Amino acid sequence: MFKRREWLRRTGAGFGSLALASLLCQDGGAADRSSSPLASLAPHYPAKIRSVIFLFMYGGPSHVDLFDPKPTLAKYDGQAIPVFNQDDVFMSGKTKNIAMKSPYKFAKYGQSGIEISETYPELAKHADKLCIIRSMHCESNNHGPAIFQMNSGSILAGRPSIGSWLTYGLGTEGENLPGYVVMLDYQGAPINGAMNWSNGFMPAAYQGVPFRSGGEPIAYLSPPIGVTRGRQRARLDLLRQWNESHAAANPADSALAARIASYELAFRMQTHATEAVDLRGESAAIQNLYGLDNKTSHHFGRNCLLARRLVERGVRFIQLYSGGNEGPKAWDAHDDLKKNHDLHCAETDKPIAGLLTDLKNRGLLDTTLVIWGGEFGRTPTAERGKGRDHHARGFTMWMAGGGIRGGTIHGATDEFGYHAVENKVSVPDLHATILHLLGLDHKKLTFRFMGRDMRLTDVSGEVIKPILA
Amino acid sequence: MNLVRFCCKLLLLIISVTFVSSSHAGVQLPDSFSNVSQVLSKNCVSCHSSAGKIRGGLDLSSKDKILEGGSSGQVLVPGRSTESLIIQMIMPGRSPHMPPKGQLSMIEIETLGKWIDGLSPADAKIKVSGKDHWAFKKLDNPSVPRVDKKGWINQPLDAYVLSRLEAKNLKPSPMADKITLIRRAYFDLIGLPPTSLAIQNFLNDSSPNAFEKVIDELLASPFYGERWGRHWLDLTRYADSGGFHNDVPRPNSWRYRDYVINSLNDDKSFAQFIREQLAGDEIENAGDEQLIATGFGRNGPSNDDNMGKAPQDIEKYRLDELDGVINTTFTTFMGMTLGCARCHDHKFDPISQKDYYQVLAIFNGTSKKDLPLLGNTLEKGKLKDPERGIMALVDTNAQPKPTHILWRGDLNNPGPVVRAAVPSVLSWKDWPIPEVAKNAKSSGRRISLADWIASPENPLTYRVLANRIWQHHFGRGIVETSGNFGRSGAIPSNPELLDHLAAWLIKNGGQWKAFHKYIMLSSTYQQASGSVAEFVSIDPDNRLHWRQNKRRLEAEAIRDSILYVSDSLNQGMGGPGIKPRIRSELLPASQRNKWPLIASEGPEHWRRSVYVYSKRQLLFPLLDLFDAPNTTDVCDCRLASIVPTQALLLMNDEFVDDQARRFAQSLINKHGIKQDVLIQQAYSKTLGRFPSGDRLHQACVFMDKQIAAHHESQSKTPDFDALVDLCHVLFNTNEFVFID
Repeated sequence: MFKRREWLRRTGAGFGSLALASLLCQDGGAADRSSSPLASLAPHYPAKIRSVIFLFMYGGPSHVDLFDPKPTLAKYDGQAIPVFNQDDVFMSGKTKNIAMKSPYKFAKYGQSGIEISETYPELAKHADKLCIIRSMHCESNNHGPAIFQMNSGSILAGRPSIGSWLTYGLGTEGENLPGYVVMLDYQGAPINGAMNWSNGFMPAAYQGVPFRSGGEPIAYLSPPIGVTRGRQRARLDLLRQWNESHAAANPADSALAARIASYELAFRMQTHATEAVDLRGESAAIQNLYGLDNKTSHHFGRNCLLARRLVERGVRFIQLYSGGNEGPKAWDAHDDLKKNHDLHCAETDKPIAGLLTDLKNRGLLDTTLVIWGGEFGRTPTAERGKGRDHHARGFTMWMAGGGIRGGTIHGATDEFGYHAVENKVSVPDLHATILHLLGLDHKKLTFRFMGRDMRLTDVSGEVIKPILA
Repeated sequence: MNLVRFCCKLLLLIISVTFVSSSHAGVQLPDSFSNVSQVLSKNCVSCHSSAGKIRGGLDLSSKDKILEGGSSGQVLVPGRSTESLIIQMIMPGRSPHMPPKGQLSMIEIETLGKWIDGLSPADAKIKVSGKDHWAFKKLDNPSVPRVDKKGWINQPLDAYVLSRLEAKNLKPSPMADKITLIRRAYFDLIGLPPTSLAIQNFLNDSSPNAFEKVIDELLASPFYGERWGRHWLDLTRYADSGGFHNDVPRPNSWRYRDYVINSLNDDKSFAQFIREQLAGDEIENAGDEQLIATGFGRNGPSNDDNMGKAPQDIEKYRLDELDGVINTTFTTFMGMTLGCARCHDHKFDPISQKDYYQVLAIFNGTSKKDLPLLGNTLEKGKLKDPERGIMALVDTNAQPKPTHILWRGDLNNPGPVVRAAVPSVLSWKDWPIPEVAKNAKSSGRRISLADWIASPENPLTYRVLANRIWQHHFGRGIVETSGNFGRSGAIPSNPELLDHLAAWLIKNGGQWKAFHKYIMLSSTYQQASGSVAEFVSIDPDNRLHWRQNKRRLEAEAIRDSILYVSDSLNQGMGGPGIKPRIRSELLPASQRNKWPLIASEGPEHWRRSVYVYSKRQLLFPLLDLFDAPNTTDVCDCRLASIVPTQALLLMNDEFVDDQARRFAQSLINKHGIKQDVLIQQAYSKTLGRFPSGDRLHQACVFMDKQIAAHHESQSKTPDFDALVDLCHVLFNTNEFVFID
């Protein structure tokens, strides 16, 4: 089989250019993408990293209980706080201006002395690898729009997600696996469903591919019951014979060759993707490092371990959701903050710590960016006594890995953890930074749609320079 | 409201009262440009003058230059100081503000304001660059060009194609063979392959109008509306659920889909099609059909109770949704990307922010309403039987509240009030939106907009339509950016051809069916698709049509053809969306408005793909992977991507295997069990022709090998299984998936 670059050279007239034209009718820029939309492309400038693992804590983890300790909040416990604004509340009628101190204790970790709450004891050991961004803010305090924004930059549906932008901008490295993989929580997908990993107005080739952690990782990876691999191969052999003779009679139409190659690639994906999720080759020690030996953490642990295996195999962007469906099954701690976060932290603590350790040991942390965060944070005030409401005005995310200054804290919220006040970071700023680390200039990575050169960051976004190594 | 904004509003009020009263009193204002000039010299020209810097492309050194505006458009509206950007920008507290540092005195502002109010609308200048753009020019039917090879001309359009070819020393390709031609016609018009009988009849028909008869038959088939209706639904964002949080089901959305299909089958005039979709409720004696048509404005994604609780959030959401309607309207009908002007003057086209908000004013009185179908009633504002309703977008207030320009699209940054108006770019013909009649139920603004769009004098509408239809017959438009005819769009590869086609459409009443026939009877359309090496070097992309293009079938045509060939297609039309099987492992991707788990499919699932329930949170995989639109924005031009996940699906999905089995069974039922007969029949039903000697031999070898293998694996039906294998291969071939 010939490589994609060669297809491109072979492209004369015909389909190749027709396919190109059909790309051009929406996209002004991708001239060397005529045959394979996933051909690997050089970045704008040398990249710091090759892959991104986005640990998406769906539902909204509470910053003041995990990474942003607020002694003042404890002092105001049970009382009104001056910065509160009723318009910011999502659960109107239930969330009042009554401060709620964190049920968790914080301690300083590592040489950096970063404060992390007792819910994340294993992760805390990696404090010096983390860059904690305490000044995040976003545009919606509701899950649907906020998840859209975290994934695509816009609170509205229909924009390509960041994984789509990356595969569009850089293509894939490993030909035998998709470039953009999504792994769901065992409780199911977050709301918005598959729109969360949508390619938006881009070609379907840039869509996130949902990966299951067991059995058949990708849909349609094995033939239906009653069709053996041998029978499938026999079918494919005749198919190839006929398709090749047809292509030979139409040499100028390179899409015919591309489609022949896509079948061979698909056939190989059956083996490679299955192999990628086969953990039998991983030692017990490694499995335990990710918490696979524990009932609570084994789901997310498995996904984290898979994420490392996919990074090793050249997958560009891997998004792991912790929390599924809605409410208590996600980090959406309306009713009982402590009960909710006890559970979800226990589910994720060891797996994330294991991932950082394992990536580091294998020398992959230098070329991989790990991001942790949800679509927003939670109110410093109480909802119905012991829960917390959605909060978009200030919250925490962290990054670790290639190109990131570990052991640092960037930005701050006010003394109550309400507003981001210092070095504020918007979602487009975060996106611009991720692109930057991959060698992409967020202002130059554009896709022509409806007459506009669309950007992931639309009309804003600044790379967060102080956090870069 | 903060103090600054309050003061600002107060000032505006004072100014408008002063200016308006002076002009109303009929006082002849002196041409006070010398005073104006003094004000500008003192405050502005250091940054805005040809003598020095010209910031923002704005030169304030002379009256003419001021009227020309800056790089982002007009800075004043003659006769209307309060609507003029230049006045807005210099008001205290305004952001952005001019001058960047400092503040003009009220007397100075008044001087400028009075001067603007004294200008007449005739002083307005549209920038030459915009007005001159080809797509905004009046449409004339260009004269038929002279050509050498006159014998090739079958239809007038051929002359426009041929003259370009001859100018480049290119020759048209020979006519496609009859089998290729009938297959092409079937896929183009109905999205299904011809039956063996249809092919045979066509081959046997040696009359000169044999192909015309085929076209007539296809245009009369109800399959036609299902095929071309789908193209229209791509543009109009059709879906059966709302997306976002709960992916709320839309139990009545399908009525709009059926309206589109029926309208095309009825060959409704395009003008009527436009009027019904944009303003069905404002048409006299509007019935169910017209109200259903307004579903055009309801198709976008929605998240009604979930975009925030503050009034500001709710209003922003309402405007976002209307923005979707405005974008869809102008992109679909006129190839104009109006949405760009929501936040700033259009960067490429002569569309100001004011134009955008004037269009918003047209839609600003609309609301999303679920209305009862005949026989159903509303009780307490809700439908008695929610399944018997109409998803409509109608005026609920004939006197809509005033529409403000929003600077940078920001609700917190309102500018002056604008009145409803069509974009000024096509302003050689006045098209005032009438004042709302007293006691009117509806503002009548949308019907006026619809009439303007549908008017034969609108140079864009019919160019855009002709191009869209051409695109589906040739794989790409004469203008490749079929939704963007603006200056940032592609230029037409053959402008005279496009104008000729648009003029032809207008002359023939905007009827689609006649237009298909006109195109398909041309020599241009009927060319073979084979490549010619020497022409590739001259016109590699075949922009001048020296051959027909090969095209990959769209997602729906692939699925429908498999069903049709297998004798499985349920030809039932219309009604609520169907939910065929989606693999169980994909279902967790959407937790709301869940797709049912289907153990095995039956005839109720085997309907044409245009009827597959379009669930925004989980698009039907076979359609989604083959580039069906994502339903959020206008989809002008589907991509024809080729990726391994498509191959995986066609190799491994139960659907293809089930249909291969049904195909095999139907072949045996009809043709007995003789192997070579079965091979020939399987081959011709899928690919339209009998296999060559080589192919027949290869198929026989394959069958024998498979029979032996199935024997070995203890199959009870080895011969049948081998035939299933062959059918499965045929469904996967390039020849099945590409149109020649």
